[in-house]
Amino acid sequence: MRRILLFCALAFAAQAAPAQGWPAKPLHLVVPYPPGGPVDVSARLVAQHAQQALGQPVLVENKPGAGGNIGADFVAKSAPDGYTLLMGAIATHAINPSLYARIPYDALKDFRHVTLVVQVPNVLVVNNDLPARSVQELVAYAKAHPGKLDFASGSTGSTGHLAGEMFKMMTGTFMVHIPYRGAAPAAADLLAGRVQLMFDNLASALPNVKAGKLRALAVTTRARSSFLPELPTLDESGLKGFDMSTWWGVMAPAKTPAAAVERLSAVLLGAIDAPEVRERLRAMGAEPSAIRTPEQFSAFVASELQTYAVLVKRSGAKVE
Amino acid sequence: MHDIVHNLGIGFVEVFKLQSIALGGLTIPDVPFNILMCLVGVLLGTLIGVLPGIGPVATIAMLLPVTFKLSPVGALIMLAGIYYGAQYGGSTTAILVNIPGEASSVVTCIDGYQMARQGRAGPALAVAALGSFFAGCVSTLIVAMFAPPLAEVALKFGPWEYFSLMVLGLVSAVVLAHGSLIKAIAMVILGLLLGLVGTDVNSGVLRFTFGLSELADGIGFVTVAMGMFGVCEIIANLEQKEGREIFTKKVSHLWPSREDWKRMWAPILRGTALGSALGILPGGGALLASFGAYTLEKKVSKYSHEFGKGAIEGVASPESANNAGAQTSFIPLLTLGIPSNAVMALMIGAMMIQGISPGPQVMSEKPALFWGMITSMWVGNLMLIVLNLPLIGMWIKLLTVPYRILYPSILVFMAVGVFSISNQPFDCFLMSLFGLLGYICVRLECEPAPLILGFILGPLMEEHLRRAMLLARGDAMSFLQKPISAGFLVASVVLLAAIALPALRKKREEAFAAEE
Repeated sequence: MRRILLFCALAFAAQAAPAQGWPAKPLHLVVPYPPGGPVDVSARLVAQHAQQALGQPVLVENKPGAGGNIGADFVAKSAPDGYTLLMGAIATHAINPSLYARIPYDALKDFRHVTLVVQVPNVLVVNNDLPARSVQELVAYAKAHPGKLDFASGSTGSTGHLAGEMFKMMTGTFMVHIPYRGAAPAAADLLAGRVQLMFDNLASALPNVKAGKLRALAVTTRARSSFLPELPTLDESGLKGFDMSTWWGVMAPAKTPAAAVERLSAVLLGAIDAPEVRERLRAMGAEPSAIRTPEQFSAFVASELQTYAVLVKRSGAKVE
Repeated sequence: MHDIVHNLGIGFVEVFKLQSIALGGLTIPDVPFNILMCLVGVLLGTLIGVLPGIGPVATIAMLLPVTFKLSPVGALIMLAGIYYGAQYGGSTTAILVNIPGEASSVVTCIDGYQMARQGRAGPALAVAALGSFFAGCVSTLIVAMFAPPLAEVALKFGPWEYFSLMVLGLVSAVVLAHGSLIKAIAMVILGLLLGLVGTDVNSGVLRFTFGLSELADGIGFVTVAMGMFGVCEIIANLEQKEGREIFTKKVSHLWPSREDWKRMWAPILRGTALGSALGILPGGGALLASFGAYTLEKKVSKYSHEFGKGAIEGVASPESANNAGAQTSFIPLLTLGIPSNAVMALMIGAMMIQGISPGPQVMSEKPALFWGMITSMWVGNLMLIVLNLPLIGMWIKLLTVPYRILYPSILVFMAVGVFSISNQPFDCFLMSLFGLLGYICVRLECEPAPLILGFILGPLMEEHLRRAMLLARGDAMSFLQKPISAGFLVASVVLLAAIALPALRKKREEAFAAEE
């Protein structure tokens, strides 16, 4: 059934495209972060695959700054002709709208959310010296030693920070948040035991977990991860309904023609389903997502916006 | 010992391995592919190092998609080659035109450029290359022999230790200056203030951004360095009518003299030691190494009065230190999966593309990749020295290019480089602004090097101080309770005392004068 639909979409796109002539020139995919991070790497992977299908180069352009807002704003205000695209992420489209006092774009109204590319769980990892071997033990330990535990995160308002705040809220524990400039130095202090726990990206935590240098207690998504199938979820561990993941995907300015959006969506899905791309996205901790159409993606962004609005407010984090 | 020989053996086999390559539809058998990638990497690295403003970060980012199709070992060998190749190339522009190609060559400008002005650009370039080569060889061996235990040492450095190390760094910034002490301190403080621009890590408050979102992440280092050194130097040169022609006429010899050889080996050794040690520390380690090496030389050298006026020690030591630091900064990446700077973060990206997650298991699961990379660093250093020594003559010729042609091209390259960092025209305006500021400073006889050090260390220091205080729940004594941290603080106090007691210094000088 899905194949037929895809075929129809492709046939429709093939029909619509020559009429419109899109794409007639190179496309720009704006990454609102510096080069080298997972968002950038996956953008380059997908772009390389998509340009073969589109017959036009897809140029990845890094426009970092202000937590991704500069790049996102640039695309929101670009001509909606299908040639300027954004790799929008949880930060730019779910967290920052609540975190920043002023934000120059509307995460819902200014964008067409085309394709979700990557969705990665965070893992709750603790330093080996911490006696807790399960989430329940961690909660008990935190309650027995109030204010003794520190949790690290890559920055104020990051998913790692907000997952920690959510954890505190749901378990009624108190831990001190220690923000870092990026997740790497945070992980270093976790390895050394200067902080005791962290909600880290699955892909970056995995090597140290497998080498026995860190202990993973749970994943933050509702479903278990196939990378660590024996590892329980927070939801199973008594934090009912806990479901957080880091995600990013391709977006376009709001008024981009429907035909271009549809063709793009088909091409991008083709790219992320291609075995060699899938395999490399998997290396970043990503598993195939159920969110596949632009409509599903939009609905997902809207619900994430709501979730984080509540969470950011409760955490007290803000950027002015 | 046996292990090391065995492991390096694995590495050499990997580096010199013959592979068949598919090119287009064609399959070419028996190509020494990895060694070719190493050559491509160091060539590219040298080139971008020489071009002012264009650094390894932008280059590696642009090349990432190319590496999809390469074998993992070949790709990583090439990217690593770009990184340390740029360290070699960076010193060339520092010496010839007083523009640091890389953050770590800021201090090379001080004495390297003075040497060039005296017609001794050849020896300066040669000592930079030889020092880098020696440092590269030693530190590669260090990586091969001690990577895992050294990674544990790096983990011993927490916010307390970093803060105290940076206090020591700032105090030595004052020593860097060879003019007025007050002016040096003023420049350090101006640098600190400039470093504070941007979003506060702890609270998320925007500081000194004047409502400009371009300033939200702070001012880029390259922007400041290109402005304060590059643009400023051009303005100052254009001001003098007869200007630069003088200094090529004076070129006497391309090679270091016997006197030079005698003076440079000890600084190279000290620079290598300091660079290897500090390079292991994530976050500014390699950079601190080059500043630290210069300060150390200035303190211990018999020729300290020549520093700032073209002392060969002032080139030999920091150049060795920055290359040693560049190699040892691979240690935290390869053993812990923790990147120590922006280039290392890109290397993680490159490894992810290849489906490798950098971390402690790389060494045991992919020994050919791990040892191949380390061995390639030594081979790459050898290529660089073979490549660079004959190039010296050519670089010198570059100085004979009329300035009216040279300076617009330098400006263009700087603008391209600064723009390429975050694709924002704003950064180019900012660079021009810093050029003006730099010119004012030159006029006031204030030196830019202490400002640069303050600019880099200020925000790091604040970050570590506040993190340390958070972790210690506000107990300031924790800085003295940690032995490493206390050691740095004591050293800072001693150094400060040595500077702040001019009476003592004067007496010493009198004593020396009496001896002569």
